[in-house]
Amino acid sequence: MRLLKFVLTCLFFYLLLKAPGLFLGKPVPSSLIAMYMFFIVITVLLVMTITDDGAEKLFAPIRSLVEDPSKKLIRNVVFVVVPIVCGYAVYDSGEKKAPPTELRAVHPAPPAIVKAYGKTFDLASIGNPFRKAEKEDPAAFKAFVKEGSEVYFKNCFFCHGDKLDGKGHYAHALELRPLPFTGTDTIAQLQESYLFWRILKGGPGLPREGGPSISAMPAWENELTEDEIWKVILFLYDYTGNTPRSWS
Amino acid sequence: MGMRLLTLFALLFCFSNDVFAQTEIDKGKAIYSRLCAFCHGIEGAGDGPAAAYLNPPPRDFTLGLYKWKSTKFDEYAPSDDDLARMISGMRSHDSIPGWDGMNATSMPGWSDLLGKEEVSHVAAYLKSLAGYDNAPKSAIDLSGKVKADSASVERGKTLFKDRCAECHGVSGRGDATKKLKDDWGARTWPRDLTEGWTFRAGSAPEDIYARITIGIPGTQMPSFADPASKKMMTDAQRWDVANYAVSLNESEKKPSANPVLKAMKLDGKLPDGPADAKWDKAAISGFYLFPQIFVSSKSYTPSVVSVSVKALYNDGEAAFLIEWDDPTNSMPWDQKALEIADGDLFPDSVAVQFPSGQLKPGDRPYFGMGGPKPVTIWQWKGPESIEEGQRARIIDAKGVKNINQRLADGLLTANGIYDNGRWRVVIKGPLKGSDKDPVFEEGGFTPVAFALWDGSNGDTGGRHLMTGWQWMTFEKQGEGPSYLWPVAAGVIVFCGEMLWLFSARKKD
Ligand code: HEC
Ligand code: HEC
Ligand code: HEC
Repeated sequence: MRLLKFVLTCLFFYLLLKAPGLFLGKPVPSSLIAMYMFFIVITVLLVMTITDDGAEKLFAPIRSLVEDPSKKLIRNVVFVVVPIVCGYAVYDSGEKKAPPTELRAVHPAPPAIVKAYGKTFDLASIGNPFRKAEKEDPAAFKAFVKEGSEVYFKNCFFCHGDKLDGKGHYAHALELRPLPFTGTDTIAQLQESYLFWRILKGGPGLPREGGPSISAMPAWENELTEDEIWKVILFLYDYTGNTPRSWS
Repeated sequence: MGMRLLTLFALLFCFSNDVFAQTEIDKGKAIYSRLCAFCHGIEGAGDGPAAAYLNPPPRDFTLGLYKWKSTKFDEYAPSDDDLARMISGMRSHDSIPGWDGMNATSMPGWSDLLGKEEVSHVAAYLKSLAGYDNAPKSAIDLSGKVKADSASVERGKTLFKDRCAECHGVSGRGDATKKLKDDWGARTWPRDLTEGWTFRAGSAPEDIYARITIGIPGTQMPSFADPASKKMMTDAQRWDVANYAVSLNESEKKPSANPVLKAMKLDGKLPDGPADAKWDKAAISGFYLFPQIFVSSKSYTPSVVSVSVKALYNDGEAAFLIEWDDPTNSMPWDQKALEIADGDLFPDSVAVQFPSGQLKPGDRPYFGMGGPKPVTIWQWKGPESIEEGQRARIIDAKGVKNINQRLADGLLTANGIYDNGRWRVVIKGPLKGSDKDPVFEEGGFTPVAFALWDGSNGDTGGRHLMTGWQWMTFEKQGEGPSYLWPVAAGVIVFCGEMLWLFSARKKD
């Protein structure tokens, strides 16, 4: 059953391409899948028909379907079904006229400096002024985190979620989903100064590749003080059990 | 001796039981302080830092009163199962996407973070806040369910007019005639029964039957199983009303995952108003709204969850039919509107926003009234006085601080009708105006965004509801699904098969 082997091999690669979408919720674009599958089918076909004998065996079941009179019934069924399937495939592909998609960098490179509160911040050298209390004065640190939590639960949870998982009350209505802070692949990969910039300048402050015109992340420089922003950053790390990425 | 031993054991037993319960409550309290106190308050009084920014407000647990319980109307307390469900998630079959908590509130489901046992510890703590520890077990009896056939729905309809319409409106759109408050002093609006996906505790017949039978404790919605009430209904009648209420759900209004607004092309004149049969041709698209929480006067207590839109165009114009449910028409001379408004009354309004001029691919302006790249806004405003009437205006904006109002004379018309809790507004503008105006191309995609003001909820100026950029497309005339190519493909493949068959026959 070389034909079966051929079909199964192609199916295996197809599932491999589909897997990220099915299990991780990060689907590979269908146009990309179509392209890969095209090459995969051709390659598998080539490999399997490299000898005449192999080619013969591969196509034998198809040939017998057409030529063997005892398979008349199956043949008639197949001959009717295949054109219908092809017609449907064309119908299906014609229907989908998708709106343009814009590719976007989730964590674009930050600028070297940002201006706010009448000051200039050098993002490469600033750090969270409240961070040192974590070791030096745990009680004070706890109080800072608590103040940060209040900033968060007055300003941010609508979007970023009660659980900091990016699934707030209004998240479903936003074009770009708010980013989560939970998990080890989120803010643990970022420096605190990066968050400081993002919170200060919000969506409008993103560089072009970050999608500044579609990000609903507000700019907070006119709403929150410098201290409040550093404290809410403390809270984001503390609540999620993450540690900021350090300098080295 | 035996007697003394027995007492000792009994004492020990009581004591250990108490200690056991105490540690459960302590464990629950620890979880509560970590996860729930931000909203429900450290003492459970519903006064956490987030409380002032929430509509509906988080529950105050000190009264021990719960809205979405399933025990009989004369039982004050919810059952343990109820508490577990409220905390771990309501799991309604029709919900807001990605939300397993109470729909259209900020109370999420916690089952992703809390296991069964932890949930029961938190529940024990909540019970201790109200000073009771024995929760009743009995849920109401659902066994008398009446099949939702047309006869039942018809009977339910008659009962609905008498029992429910005074609050939910004759069409069930929540256009109350009463200003209602719950026992905690918060404003409550009777639910819009045409939007099942906004129900806190589910919109299946069983869920609605439960609400009618139990009432909603702490609110004015009474139990209709209470023999002391003049509005009491039999078990079968309550199922009939539930079946009718389910039939009110307009699921086509529920926004889909990635809605695209499709404008249909018409020959001849576009409709001026909402009551025109031509609108039946256009497909409806729903869009979720979020409150304006970006700049200056922010809006934290939105009153509308989504908006439904249709679009038509011809050679010269594009027209939008925008529909949403609103408990009042916000007209200042309307006695009902004045009575139930929350604070000052402003006119209702709706606006459609487009990028101005020709758009380069991937180059949309900022969604919140533009920025360096400008946007054009077509706005309809409800009347402020009888004399003045409804208004239409065009706004050119380059950000919230750079707004220019343009005379809409002749360019833009807008016309709305308010009926039984629903606004239906038509906004009609030029397909190609000056270089400031949006450019719509047949067959192309255009970004579009919506904004909405509910004047009886205090919305005015920057306080409003909105969407981000959505996509709309101007379908080519007669474009619908084309059958030519699929049929051609089928025929070609079939001919191929026949050729093969014949050549195989010849070989033999
Ligand atoms: C209106 C919804 C909204 C509110 C309110 C909001 N955000 Fe955001 N936020 C977003 C969205 C959407 C994104 C993702 C798009 C982006 O990166 O700009 C985001 C991104 C971020 C990021 C970048 C995360 C990363 O991994 O790069 C940080 C940090 C952040 N928000 C912090 C906050 C803080 C702190 C607050 C409150 C002071 C807040 N946000 C309030 C919507 C919101
Ligand atoms: C972001 C804010 C927020 C957080 C955090 C939150 N809740 Fe709620 N909760 C609400 C709101 C708002 C309501 C009111 C819903 C309503 O009126 O329908 C509510 C209602 C409730 C109810 C009452 C349901 C009823 O039938 O009356 C319970 C019980 C509850 N929450 C438990 C919890 C527990 C336990 C936690 C922590 C694990 C928690 N909540 C965390 C916002 C929150
Ligand atoms: C006295 C006014 C009043 C009457 C009469 C009334 N309701 Fe309600 N109803 C309300 C209010 C107020 C709410 C919203 C409560 C809240 O969310 O706090 C509500 C909510 C609801 C809900 C939503 C439940 C959920 O899970 O979100 C349903 C369904 C409902 N009512 C059905 C009915 C039906 C059916 C009747 C008639 C048998 C009825 N109501 C009679 C005031 C009323």
